[in-house]
Amino acid sequence: MSGKIALMKPTATLVLRGKKYDVKAGSTILSALKKLEILPESVICVRAGELVTEDTLLQEGETIKLVSVISGG
Amino acid sequence: MKCKKCGGTAVISMRQHNMGLCKDDFIQWLQEQTQRHIEKQKMFTHEEKVLVAVSGGKDSLALWDILLMLGYKADGLYIALGIDEGIGYSAESQRLTEEFANARDLNLHIVHLAADYGTDIPTLAKQTKRGHDKPCSSCGLVKRHEMNRIARDFGYDVLATGHNLDDEAATLFSNTLQWNGDYLLRQAPVLEERNGLARKVKPLFRFYEREMAAYALLRGIEYIYEECPFAEGSTSTHYKELLNQLENKSPGAKQHFYTKFLSAKRKGLFAEPTTEIVPNLHLCPICGQPTSAREECSFCKMMARVDSKQ
Repeated sequence: MSGKIALMKPTATLVLRGKKYDVKAGSTILSALKKLEILPESVICVRAGELVTEDTLLQEGETIKLVSVISGG
Repeated sequence: MKCKKCGGTAVISMRQHNMGLCKDDFIQWLQEQTQRHIEKQKMFTHEEKVLVAVSGGKDSLALWDILLMLGYKADGLYIALGIDEGIGYSAESQRLTEEFANARDLNLHIVHLAADYGTDIPTLAKQTKRGHDKPCSSCGLVKRHEMNRIARDFGYDVLATGHNLDDEAATLFSNTLQWNGDYLLRQAPVLEERNGLARKVKPLFRFYEREMAAYALLRGIEYIYEECPFAEGSTSTHYKELLNQLENKSPGAKQHFYTKFLSAKRKGLFAEPTTEIVPNLHLCPICGQPTSAREECSFCKMMARVDSKQ
């Protein structure tokens, strides 16, 4: 057994329409959205039931719910 | 991000206005702006009776909430379309609408397509030629007909819908791509009453869809998150996504596209309506509603076709 310990990168979770995305904690929601190719114009971000802006820093282990705002028809 | 008004923590960033606002200031700002638009466009007064077309979605329920907060006399109209598609879409949207109305002791008219006409939207779509098996065309026709009927029969001064700026910009984009001159001429936040057609207004025409979702959430309004199952992959959704890509690159693009169009119309850039473009209306011999068709209106024709197949 090796004496090395694998260091896990701290992550947060974004959830959009039931689909979960693991993203890097410590960065902003906006940069996570950019990496996931989700347009910030198409969602609002909810943390623990409260609306937050996209410049919010992602905390380790937290979940941000992305609410899709586009309705069609 | 800081709230531009009070310096507290912002909950929404509106890049097109270069502004972030906290919860209380955003709610107040959106209600005040709505009042401003209602007055500026001369939509209606506090003395008039308003009928709000509600679907259970964020925009229409938010509109109803705002009008009540602003002290308007506003009743609701819900049309039960009978769309299930395995997720109980219509049943859930009706439940949420009724909950909203009951919690505030509001007057809600409900039209049941099944009980009143013995059909539903999926059946209509299969049995008529409208929309090539896509129900959206039949659905739009039914909604326009019934909204006008209830507004007229119950003596409402004005019919208000929850169309937001994204809806209007997507419609404008579609009409421009096809150079639909007659539709471009008729696209406006206020459509005056004429020949039996109720006055129609869109008080949310200057707000982004995102702002309306934020308003509904901040006001604790429960609305149906699920998209209409038939709207999935619709052209209007595709156009909204395209416009959002533009907006992402240059904030305010959607707003400019739509408001500059309205401004160009006011300045006379488009031709005045002619009799060829705005057809003469007469009354349908079956339902008595105005129509440009020579005999019965499209709604009654569609219903007759369904009856003959049952």
